[in-house]
Amino acid sequence: MYQYDQIDQTLVDERVAQFRDQVARRLSGAISEEEFKPLRLQNGLYLQLHAYMLRIAIPYGTLSSRQLRALAQIGCKYDRGWGHFTTRQNLQYNWIRLEDAADALADLAKVQMHAIQTSGNCIRNTTTDQFAGAAHDEIEDPRVWCEIIRQWSTFHPEFSFLPRKFKIAVTGSPNDRAAVRVHDIGLRMHRNADGETGFEVIVGGGLGRTPFIGKTIRDFLPKQHLLSYLEAILRVYNQFGRRDNMYKARIKILVHEIGIETMREKVEAEWQSIRDGALQLPQAAIDQIAAHFAPPAFERLSGGVTPDYAAAFRTDFEFGLWARRNTFKHKQPGYSIVTISLKKEGEPPGDMKAEQMLAVADLADRYSFGEIRVTHEQNLVLPHVKQADLPALFRALKAYDLATPNVGLASDIIACPGLDYCALANARSIPIAQQIALRFRNWERAHDIGELKIKISGCINACGHHHVGHIGILGVDKNGEEFYQLTLGGSADQDAALGDILGPALNTAQTVDAIDTLVEIYLRLRSGSDERFLDTYRRVGLQPFREAVYAAA
Amino acid sequence: MAKAPKLKDQAHIVTANHLSSGDVVYLTIRNDWSRDIAAAFVAPNAEAAAAWLAEAEAQAARNIVVAPYLVPVDGSTTPPRPIQFRERIRAAGPTTEKRPAA
Repeated sequence: MYQYDQIDQTLVDERVAQFRDQVARRLSGAISEEEFKPLRLQNGLYLQLHAYMLRIAIPYGTLSSRQLRALAQIGCKYDRGWGHFTTRQNLQYNWIRLEDAADALADLAKVQMHAIQTSGNCIRNTTTDQFAGAAHDEIEDPRVWCEIIRQWSTFHPEFSFLPRKFKIAVTGSPNDRAAVRVHDIGLRMHRNADGETGFEVIVGGGLGRTPFIGKTIRDFLPKQHLLSYLEAILRVYNQFGRRDNMYKARIKILVHEIGIETMREKVEAEWQSIRDGALQLPQAAIDQIAAHFAPPAFERLSGGVTPDYAAAFRTDFEFGLWARRNTFKHKQPGYSIVTISLKKEGEPPGDMKAEQMLAVADLADRYSFGEIRVTHEQNLVLPHVKQADLPALFRALKAYDLATPNVGLASDIIACPGLDYCALANARSIPIAQQIALRFRNWERAHDIGELKIKISGCINACGHHHVGHIGILGVDKNGEEFYQLTLGGSADQDAALGDILGPALNTAQTVDAIDTLVEIYLRLRSGSDERFLDTYRRVGLQPFREAVYAAA
Repeated sequence: MAKAPKLKDQAHIVTANHLSSGDVVYLTIRNDWSRDIAAAFVAPNAEAAAAWLAEAEAQAARNIVVAPYLVPVDGSTTPPRPIQFRERIRAAGPTTEKRPAA
C-alpha cells in the first residue's frame, strides 16, 4: 500500500488545522453560512436531510487494517457506531456534528486519511478495480496509476474550480470491474501490437439525468504520457465546458455537443503543446510509486485444493455457496480473493457496524496481509487469502453476519441512501432494496437465477447507478408519493450499456412484485442455466418482460 | 437543501438545522428551537408563515440555525403533519434505521 511521505502528511495535517479554524470562525459567527458552505464541502462535510454528513475519501478503495479500525473508532466516537460504504468506494458518516468535524478529520489524518476531493467541482477521488494487484486476469496493477493521478490531481490549482465535478476510473483488466465507461474519463489498460502496456482513454461517460456511455478518444496512450494527456483533456473541458447551466456542465455534455472527433482534435492539439514537458513521467518516478504496491510475501503454494477446503465444500452447504459466489481467482497459486458481502438480507446495502469493521480488520491481519478493499458495488474485499484458510475465514465472518453468499446475485443490490438520508432524493432506495433482498433469500433459487445486478437510485442523479443495472430502479415523486421507474438491460462492465425503460412507474408494492415477475419471465425464457438475465434480455428484448409486468400491475 | 415549495395559503411550520449539531429543529411559539415537531408553532396562513420565516432567517443570521424554510402542514393534527412525504421522514428520522441515536 502507498505510505504517505512527509509532504503528504504535512498537507493533510495543515488541511485539518485550516478547517478547524474555519469551523471555529463559523461557530463564532465570524463567517456566514454562504462563506462557509464551499469550505465545508471541500472537506467532505455536507448538510443532508437530517444532519451533517461526512464523506471520507478512500483512495482507489484501498484500506489497511489500521485504517479500517480508525474508521470504526471514528464511527463510535463521533457518529452512531456505523458507516456507509458508497458507490464511489468511499465511506459516509451520517450523523456528524459540525463541532466535532475537525476532530474527526484529525483522527483520520493520524492514519493517512482525509475527506479531500469528496465534494466540489474538482477531480474527485479516483476509483478502480477492487481486485487490483490480486486478480488473475489483470494486465497490470492499476493502483500505481491511481496513486499517480491522486498526486497530480490533489489541489491541482488549474482544476479546483472546474465547470462541474470530474470522476476518473481505471481498470487494469479486460474484465471491467471499475465501470470505466460511465466515468468522465475511463482508463483501460491493455497491450498494443508491440506488447507494450498503455491506456485506452475513454471520455464523456456518466450517469445522472443525462446518461452516456463514454467514447474512446485515444486507442493507445503510452504510460509515460498519462498525466499530460489527462491534463490536455481537463484543459479542453475547463475551457469549453458549460458553466451557465449546472445540468449541462459535465464533460459528457461537451463531448455530446461537439462530437468525439472535434473533442479529439482539441485534446490532441493541446496535448502536442505539453506532452514532452514537465508532466512526462520518468520511469524512476513510476518505479518509486510502483514499489509501494509490490506484492505481499506470498507463500509458494501448489494451488491444489486442500483437504480442509474440500471437506468444507462437501459437508457445509452454506460454505459451498459462499465459496462459489464470494471468491475470485487470484493470480498467485493457492490464494483467493474474497468478497465480503455488505448485503445481508434486510440490512441497508453498504452499511457496516463498527464492531464488524473491527472484526474485518482483525481478519485482514490474520488472513490477508492487513489489506482490505472497498468495491463500487458497496462490498468489501480481502484480496489475498490462502485457499486453505477459506473455511476458517467463512466461519469467522459468519459470526459477524458477514458471510452472506450473494455476490453478484439478485440481493447484492447497489442502493444509494435515498430519501432516508439524502437531501436531493425523491424516493427511498434502502427499503426497496431490503424488500427485494428478502424475496431472494432462498439461496437455492437465488443461485439458480445466477448473476443479476439490481441497482437503485432515489433520484435522477443516479448515485445508485440505476442506468447500468441489469434491472435499474429509479425513485420518482408523483404527487407526493414514491413511485419507481424500471429499466432493463443496463451494464457497467466491459459490455457497458444503458438500460431501456420498461414502462410507466410503479408504486412500492408493485415494484417489488415486478422484480419477481421479471425474474420468473427470465427463468422461463432463458436458453439454459448458463444464460444470464442480461443475456436473455439482450436476446429476447423488452416486450415479454413488459407484457408480464404490466399485465400483473 | 432542496428549494422550499411554492408558498400556498395554508398552514406552515418553520424548520432548519441547528448550526453546531446539525440536528433538525423546528421554531416554537417561544421563538426558540425544538427537535420535536410537536413543539413547532403552526402559522395558519401564508401571510403568517412569511413573517414566521423572517424570524427564522434572523436567527440564522445570528448563527443559531442553518437554512430555515417553511414546511406545509396539516395544521389540524397534533403534532402537525407535514404534507410532503420528505418532510415526514425528516421529522421522524430514517425509516430504516434500527440503531438508537447516540
